[in-house]
Amino acid sequence: MNMTTDRLMVVRVGLTVGMAVTAVFLARAQVSPDYIDPAAPIVVESPALTAGGTMPRDYTPDGHNLSPPLTWSDPPAGTRELAVMCVDFGAGNPPPWVHWIIYGIPPTATGLPEGLPIVAERAMPRELEGAVQGLNGWRRPYYRGPAPPSGTPHLYHFVVYALDEALGLGPGLTRADLLEAMDGHIIGRGELVPVYERFAG
Amino acid sequence: MAHDRPRGLTRRDLLRSAGAVGAAAAVGATELTGASVVSPVAGAIAQQTAPDAAAGAPLPEPLEHLTASEAELLEAIADHLIPADEDGPGAVEARAVHYIDRALGGALSESHDAYRSGLAAFDRYCRSSRGGAFVDLSATDRLSALIDIETGAATGAGAGFVGSSAAFFGMVRSHVIQGTFGDPYYGGNANFVGWDLIRYPGVRTAVTPQDQTRLESGDLPPYRRSAYDWGTFNKASARRSRPRVGTGTGGDHAD
Repeated sequence: MNMTTDRLMVVRVGLTVGMAVTAVFLARAQVSPDYIDPAAPIVVESPALTAGGTMPRDYTPDGHNLSPPLTWSDPPAGTRELAVMCVDFGAGNPPPWVHWIIYGIPPTATGLPEGLPIVAERAMPRELEGAVQGLNGWRRPYYRGPAPPSGTPHLYHFVVYALDEALGLGPGLTRADLLEAMDGHIIGRGELVPVYERFAG
Repeated sequence: MAHDRPRGLTRRDLLRSAGAVGAAAAVGATELTGASVVSPVAGAIAQQTAPDAAAGAPLPEPLEHLTASEAELLEAIADHLIPADEDGPGAVEARAVHYIDRALGGALSESHDAYRSGLAAFDRYCRSSRGGAFVDLSATDRLSALIDIETGAATGAGAGFVGSSAAFFGMVRSHVIQGTFGDPYYGGNANFVGWDLIRYPGVRTAVTPQDQTRLESGDLPPYRRSAYDWGTFNKASARRSRPRVGTGTGGDHAD
């Protein structure tokens, strides 16, 4: 009888702890301090990614680890430049973990094609002339996709920013550098948030 | 860093022939002496009878600790870490893998299991993520896979790296650098290409003021001698189990 009671207690404690951990995870995953200002919304879509959908392996290190294609529409009037980030608010110390930064995107661009360069020798597509990839969490100037620990789904925020000024930023910027440079210039924003999870192999 | 070079096939063929020669040499040595150690003499005999020898092509020495497929993969990795380019030859020309293969029986013997399991995991990772063996991938996929292994992103993806893939990458990188720029006595830095690459003028027991002046102006000719070519230096061995006796010449590993 005592053993049954003890087991019930263990189960209750386990469920409580599990719910608390889940709440913390969701809070870390979904709350982004970047979304506070009321910039005009931008619709971000992708022929390969969907909001809440699982990212295809080819955009992760479990596949070819290509940068995914993105498209956007309706950047506000007066947009002079665009920037894109991919961040995981459920990782990093402190969060978020940065997977990708690209800035200096011309205002005429309506998206990013799949597989942007991972070597400096390879030029950006012509429609992105002037765009620069900044440093991700691995301090690399290109996209690196999701690599979460097995058994824990993570959310990947692909955020598009519209800026009211061409900032003329050079290479080598981190997310913090870019946010500081964009401060006061963000007039539009939108995001697409797919999911990725690894399973023990 | 990323480049496709047509000579890749030739290198792979050479490595494969090295493996075949190694196997033949091992059989010959065992039959003749009952020993399990590859005999340089048997290796030389096997090389003489190999088809490439007739064509006059230089043949590499037999592998001692790596398998032919392990050496092939390791050389492809080394080729990306220190590639030959407009600045000069790279890790392949320096025979860094030859150095590692020899050292796995001596100074690096504790890393042998890490190489065996790490190279197998590396291969599994490339096949599961990019759909093929590393050497058969496109230049972009090879670089991308290497980055994922270097950053630890390949960890836990079913490849089965023991610990982080980044630890394996770090070990290989360190040893490739040793094999490219270390003293040729240990089996790498063949023909002193590593020292030439960094303009290291060579080991000198005395430097005159004139030498110093020429060194600073970049006019000092390299002194292509292994430190072990001097009788005054102790003769350590890359192979812990078989200490080397006598002097050697750079890049010429006779033991």
